[in-house]
Amino acid sequence: MDPLAGLLSGFAVILTPQNLYLCLIGSVIGTLVGVLPGVGPLAALALLLPVTFTLPPVGGMVMLCSIFYGAMYGGSTTSVLLNIPGEAASVVTCIDGHQMARQGRAGAALGIAAIGSFIAGTIGVVIMTFFAPLIAAVAIRFGPPENFGLMVLGLVCTLFMISGSAVKGVLMVALGFLVAAVGIDVVNGRERFTFGSVNLSGGIELLSVVIGLFGLTEVFSNVEQRLKTTVVAERVTGLWPSLADWRASWRPMLRGSGLGFLLGLVPGGGPVTASFMSYALEKRIARDPQRFGKGAIEGVAGPESANNAAVAGSLIPVLSLGIPGNPVTALLLGALIIQGIQPGPLFMTQRPDLFWGIVAGMYVGNVFLLLLNLPLVGVWAQLLRIPYRVLFPVVLLLCVVGAYSANKNVFDLWVMLAFGIGGYALRKLEYDLAPFVIAFVLAPLLEQSLRQSLVMSPDGAMILLQRPVTALLLAASAVLAALMLRRKSSPKGGGGS
Amino acid sequence: MKHVALAFVATFFIGPALAQGDLKAELAKLKPRDFPTQPIEFTVVYPAGGGMDVTGRLLAKYVEKWTGERVIVNNRTGGAGMIGHSYLATQAKPDGHTVGVLANLVWGDAMLRAQGRWSLNDLEPIGYINSDALTWVGRAEGPYKGYSVKQIIQAAKDKPGTVRVATVPGSMWEYIVEQIEASSGAKFLRVPFQGGGAGIGALVGGNVDVAQGFYSEFRGHLDGGKVAPLAVASAARMDFLKDMPTFNEALGSSDYLWQVIRFAVVPKGTPADRKAYLGAAIHTAMKDPELLAEYRKFGVFFDPKLANSANLAQDLGAYVEAERQFYVKTGRLK
Repeated sequence: MDPLAGLLSGFAVILTPQNLYLCLIGSVIGTLVGVLPGVGPLAALALLLPVTFTLPPVGGMVMLCSIFYGAMYGGSTTSVLLNIPGEAASVVTCIDGHQMARQGRAGAALGIAAIGSFIAGTIGVVIMTFFAPLIAAVAIRFGPPENFGLMVLGLVCTLFMISGSAVKGVLMVALGFLVAAVGIDVVNGRERFTFGSVNLSGGIELLSVVIGLFGLTEVFSNVEQRLKTTVVAERVTGLWPSLADWRASWRPMLRGSGLGFLLGLVPGGGPVTASFMSYALEKRIARDPQRFGKGAIEGVAGPESANNAAVAGSLIPVLSLGIPGNPVTALLLGALIIQGIQPGPLFMTQRPDLFWGIVAGMYVGNVFLLLLNLPLVGVWAQLLRIPYRVLFPVVLLLCVVGAYSANKNVFDLWVMLAFGIGGYALRKLEYDLAPFVIAFVLAPLLEQSLRQSLVMSPDGAMILLQRPVTALLLAASAVLAALMLRRKSSPKGGGGS
Repeated sequence: MKHVALAFVATFFIGPALAQGDLKAELAKLKPRDFPTQPIEFTVVYPAGGGMDVTGRLLAKYVEKWTGERVIVNNRTGGAGMIGHSYLATQAKPDGHTVGVLANLVWGDAMLRAQGRWSLNDLEPIGYINSDALTWVGRAEGPYKGYSVKQIIQAAKDKPGTVRVATVPGSMWEYIVEQIEASSGAKFLRVPFQGGGAGIGALVGGNVDVAQGFYSEFRGHLDGGKVAPLAVASAARMDFLKDMPTFNEALGSSDYLWQVIRFAVVPKGTPADRKAYLGAAIHTAMKDPELLAEYRKFGVFFDPKLANSANLAQDLGAYVEAERQFYVKTGRLK
């Protein structure tokens, strides 16, 4: 079907009161799930999965999808206001978003985040409308060597994220790798670093790590400062981004959209990786990288766009091939299967109503979310007036609920507590926690793709040079790393492009 | 005569409704007086949305329909199922409110990974659900286009280490490759993936030559003409893929039986009356043609021996024993 005709037919499907209502409900739930620290989209989707059984497939899918990208809209809110990520894909937004809030520019940060999310979400779905089958055909060719190249590039990028001491930053990356090594070996299926514990056999849960490191650590850090009574004492001014903010943000938004969309396509990638990479990219190409970490609006605009575009990107392999790349899309696949629908290469031609309905639903959902989130900026900003003694117990409660909801395993709560205490200590010692998280996320993907590549290669490591895409990605990584080294070694203020 | 005709009409038209009522009444008779006092929890040890989860949720829906009890599905995930298995065997209260919806992968966990902390005796089977046989699929194009499973194995024998097979380490995906290699002298290049679906994706993308999985995982690509079925590791051919041979047929053996068997368990020590009630509820649900039709859509089959088993624990035990022998033979278990 011609994409435009398809899209129109999709709108015909979606523009019924019931489907619009479901889309709105999904958007509201998604925003809430995003705003609440701890509770993430995966837990929310798993919880609401049974509800969709009784709904028609289009309505159910539109609702689930809108929760997924709605969470990306809401996630920035708590990051900016409380320095606690609403969900894992908003970890980097804390860095500059919260600094902006401290400077009284919470409104601008939230506004840019919402608008960036909208622009990226829309760009993502437009690309999906016109190129989904083509992109799926290319994405499926990406094998372990290509994924490895991408992950190396990602890792090099994260090194740009390190602020302050380079030694400390590299140490955190190494620590992230080490912690990620716990669990079942991807190649021989044996347990590593589990010390005989059943609970460690599945590895360490990302959600517990993120909630511990950022949620608990932030609460701990604030509790010790007894003099202040609210997070940001100053009055919140300027609820709207200024012209200068716009000028600074539109390019990061577009770059974030492109980058996020691509990373969404990669198996194992998705919103979390996308947001980190976008931040690293913005910091890398900024004329004055020192501003990052001190309230640079680019550090909000880029990642918040990237995580939304990644949602659209990650839906393509599921809907066009039936191959999910991350746990959330696996759940969406399951939701379709329960309805008796098997997504695959023929999905678009066999069930055009469903495919185009979902796509049209994403256009509508993004509009709903923008309309929902912009007016809410003012409401959320009021959160800053809530005194500590009320706010933080609530945050702690949500952290506990969120960490438990992922696997329903009490052990995950201990992991969260351990990372909360550890994160607090590291922060006191002026270690940056973001490189740890991105290393922790990338390490399993990096390891698996490298070892798969080596296993499937008759000539050992040569496979990485024989595959053109991999060679290109590795070359790009090498150039980036060389540039970075040169900048670090050149005298301060000089050189450095 | 008139009475006979009436009786006939009654059986024919009113019969199904009556039978449904009868079955419900039968179930109600078995219902213990003090049970359940809260929703029954079906524990699924894999994430929401996956094959096991879908199986569990459908079963829950029909158990609710027949008993009128509330059933909720709870995913206790992690450690490739190990965390949920351990929970059921060692922590779950044996009061009938917890039912595990499991696959036979729990046997491997019990024998190889539980390290004596728990054993299969801690879980009592109460109902068989369905089975899904591991299938080999090749690419519809490329160097091995049109090859039969025998020809692929021959190719792996002629040029050892060149035919790439997607496996999942430490599971039946790997065991079957091992078994084929041991008996044929072939040598495959095993590319590890974390699950059958990922391997199918790599097959479609041309990054492996053979993938292994279940019908529901590759059906979309089969319909799209991207993959070609090679052989299935079950005792008989699949109804929906009549042209695909079984491994045993193709290789002249009887050893290639690798399938996922799905069943429900309760923790050991669950009171007998509650166990009987739950077992009857699952049994009744599994007689519902609607549920069977929903399951069939995924390409599963129903093992008649297990579906009509008088002693499920014993009949499953035969499969457990076969698996144990494989582990002993391959040195995994002493």
